[in-house]
Amino acid sequence: MIRHSIMVGWADAPMKRYVDDARIQLAVLMHPSGQVVAQHGFQKKLDVQTACALSAAINATADGLGTMIDHAPFRGMHYAGAERQLHLAQMHVGTGLLLLLSVFDRESSLGIVQLYLDELRGSLSATVPSEEDAPPALAEDFERDLNSNLAALFGKR
Amino acid sequence: MSQFTPVITAVTKHRGVQAALVVAEEDGIVVDGTAHVGVGTNAFAALTASLYRKASRGAGAAGFGTVSYFELEAERGRVMAAGRNGLVIIAVAEPRVNVGLLRVELVRAAESL
Repeated sequence: MIRHSIMVGWADAPMKRYVDDARIQLAVLMHPSGQVVAQHGFQKKLDVQTACALSAAINATADGLGTMIDHAPFRGMHYAGAERQLHLAQMHVGTGLLLLLSVFDRESSLGIVQLYLDELRGSLSATVPSEEDAPPALAEDFERDLNSNLAALFGKR
Repeated sequence: MSQFTPVITAVTKHRGVQAALVVAEEDGIVVDGTAHVGVGTNAFAALTASLYRKASRGAGAAGFGTVSYFELEAERGRVMAAGRNGLVIIAVAEPRVNVGLLRVELVRAAESL
């Protein structure tokens, strides 16, 4: 199967609605490889890049650990800190899988985040572009694609 | 059967109650409860716990102390909640419910949380 390159822009409107409804402070929607699809709240490209890389690593670790311990991948993660909470969700959108990292404080809650995640999943499924619309992604182009997506999200800063 | 079954049963037995849920105040996640078919328990739990938290913060900011009970009246039903020790017991009811009796039941139930 040909994996197509990750396009940005199509998920911005559903993400904005999710962030507003669920009172999220930071959110990044990404491909499991760590390629960013949409983001909210981050001011620097490097922060998004780091958040995506770490989230992809957490997801891969949970997959591997779950398969080893429970014969099935662990899905999703929630961490409750003293001030902020972090939620990492897997979302089946169209024929693919995306990861969503959400950071929130006491203005929201895990229940609220899960509630609006379901709505976001539906909205993304309705707006996801067809895979044929995107050029094939090649491993050697990973960094170039990553940089072009970040440039698209942050302008030319 | 959980430790919350008796309080949930006591609330549910009132005529017109459609759902009775014990919910974590901070997370808005259902701990235990029962509901009629068609009641979106997760949505009710998350949104009502959020309202309860905000009411508590509002009461705290106004210097009124802790919130023990609140009620939301809508065109076709009522949502009533009472909380203690990080838990909230929520009742979703039809307009015909006996509000006074259910309120007493919820406050009593909250004391056992």
